[in-house]
Amino acid sequence: MHKDNETCVQRARFFFYFFEKPKETPPFDQIVKVKQVKPEAIRNLNKFLTSRLERIATMMELLTEVHKDWAITGKKDYILMETESYDFNASLQILKEHGFDDSEFILKVEYTRKWGVL
Amino acid sequence: MGYASTAKKSTVPAGGWSDLWRQEDYWAMWLGLTIILLAIVFWSIGNNFMNWIVLKIPSYSDYRTAISYLTSHKSAILALYLFFLILFSIAVKVLSGEVQRFLVGFTFLFSMSILVSVWGSWDVMKRYNFETPLLALVVGLVISNFLKIPYWLSTALQTQFYVKLGIVLMGASLPFTLIIQAGSTAFAQATIISLATFLTIYWTGTRVFALDKRFAATLAAGGSICGVSASIAIGGTVKAEKQHVSIAISLVILWSIIMIFILPLAIKALNILPGPAGAWIGTAEFADAPGMAAAAAINEQAIKTFTLMKVVGRDMFIGIWCFIMALTSITRWDKRYAGTNPNALDIWIRFPKFVLGFIVASIIITILAASANGVTSKAIDNNIINPISELRNWAFIFTFLSIGLSSRLKELASVGWKPFAAFTAGVLINIPLGYLLSVVIMGNYWITIK
Repeated sequence: MHKDNETCVQRARFFFYFFEKPKETPPFDQIVKVKQVKPEAIRNLNKFLTSRLERIATMMELLTEVHKDWAITGKKDYILMETESYDFNASLQILKEHGFDDSEFILKVEYTRKWGVL
Repeated sequence: MGYASTAKKSTVPAGGWSDLWRQEDYWAMWLGLTIILLAIVFWSIGNNFMNWIVLKIPSYSDYRTAISYLTSHKSAILALYLFFLILFSIAVKVLSGEVQRFLVGFTFLFSMSILVSVWGSWDVMKRYNFETPLLALVVGLVISNFLKIPYWLSTALQTQFYVKLGIVLMGASLPFTLIIQAGSTAFAQATIISLATFLTIYWTGTRVFALDKRFAATLAAGGSICGVSASIAIGGTVKAEKQHVSIAISLVILWSIIMIFILPLAIKALNILPGPAGAWIGTAEFADAPGMAAAAAINEQAIKTFTLMKVVGRDMFIGIWCFIMALTSITRWDKRYAGTNPNALDIWIRFPKFVLGFIVASIIITILAASANGVTSKAIDNNIINPISELRNWAFIFTFLSIGLSSRLKELASVGWKPFAAFTAGVLINIPLGYLLSVVIMGNYWITIK
């Protein structure tokens, strides 16, 4: 289908959570509401956050280098990157080529009809 | 294909309270309810403004009758034009910001609506069942398929916006008790047909034509649940490719336009009464606007049963379908995106918000009518419900013209034969099953809905 005949707009939304990786036990489980929290648990959290935040920053850099039009919103526990002008498959490819797998982010795709389409 | 702004805009964050003024659905609701409240206010202060601006072109055999009617209603035509222009311009200003182009485009669309209404009121056209809805569509199709539609006109071809506004206004003429009673019947009936059609398209697409599962699901949703809205909702839910969603939308529009002509002809040939006919159109048509065109080609009762079936029985439940499809996608098809667990909140996010306007409109008028005595009740009919119904008819004429003017059949047909064949398999199940349920089994029920 020719690009001019496309009838929808795609919005790709990448969620990068600070404190947890999807499909992984969050380090806070060893801290929050735990009696006799061990210092080791705090060190684990430190290591986790240092690594996690660095990887989120790298993913953000990769995506913004390959495409400029991103709406980036900071929330208290995650970063949300959204674009309507870059296909989600291309974004996924870039991230995977640099060693990031699906467990490092949550991707949601939304479509809307182009304004005025029946 | 429809209008799409060529202006490149930066992506802005989605969601939140700004949806209340950034979404077309909400604007259809705000404007529809504004019109209803205006009608109530004018009636309560004894002002006849609403009855004055609505035009109901009489049927005629001598063209001089039509000319005489138009010349004697010049001021009312101008007032009607300004009434719509002001309301729509507010919405366009917020939604796209292209008010100047819209002003020129809408002026052309309104003028064409007057001409088509006059032409469709000619008794010769009525004799051949070629009244205003079909005429508007054909005129639009002829123009858009032989001439290039200028950009300034495209900005006014907001089919979805007009039909949603019309549906909100429709709520004023349907008692809320009827929506509840008939809505449950419509939902049960529509669900049976939607399931059968969905499974047919999905099975044919994946097993016979080896289409991608997500593509087949997007096609199946468009052909069974509620047309374009379903295709884009399910397409996003299952992470279908953009091209596939575009193809599904094109097929929905193509078949919807074909059905506008086939269904009224079949209804007349089979001598189906208006009530069941509207219900049948409600299950057989794929999108709201074309369905309304087909129902309007029958009569007012068909418009009501169509709305109950399509809007209440099908459109309202898109969120639940999405939720089920998201679960299926993640648990059955592909575990790549296991992190994207479906959220029950998505049911609300997907809910077509203009339906809220339709329901609120119905509740307002139902309460007003319930608190009135016989005399007041007649006054409400004459001064509120009737002018709102006439304004609704104008919104539908804008819709039908916009469908025609924005549908280039050659482009819609360039989707590849495999998806077309899979979609068509669903049509071949949907149409007879809808006839069986709406006309043969439930026909006596739909006859009583007036």
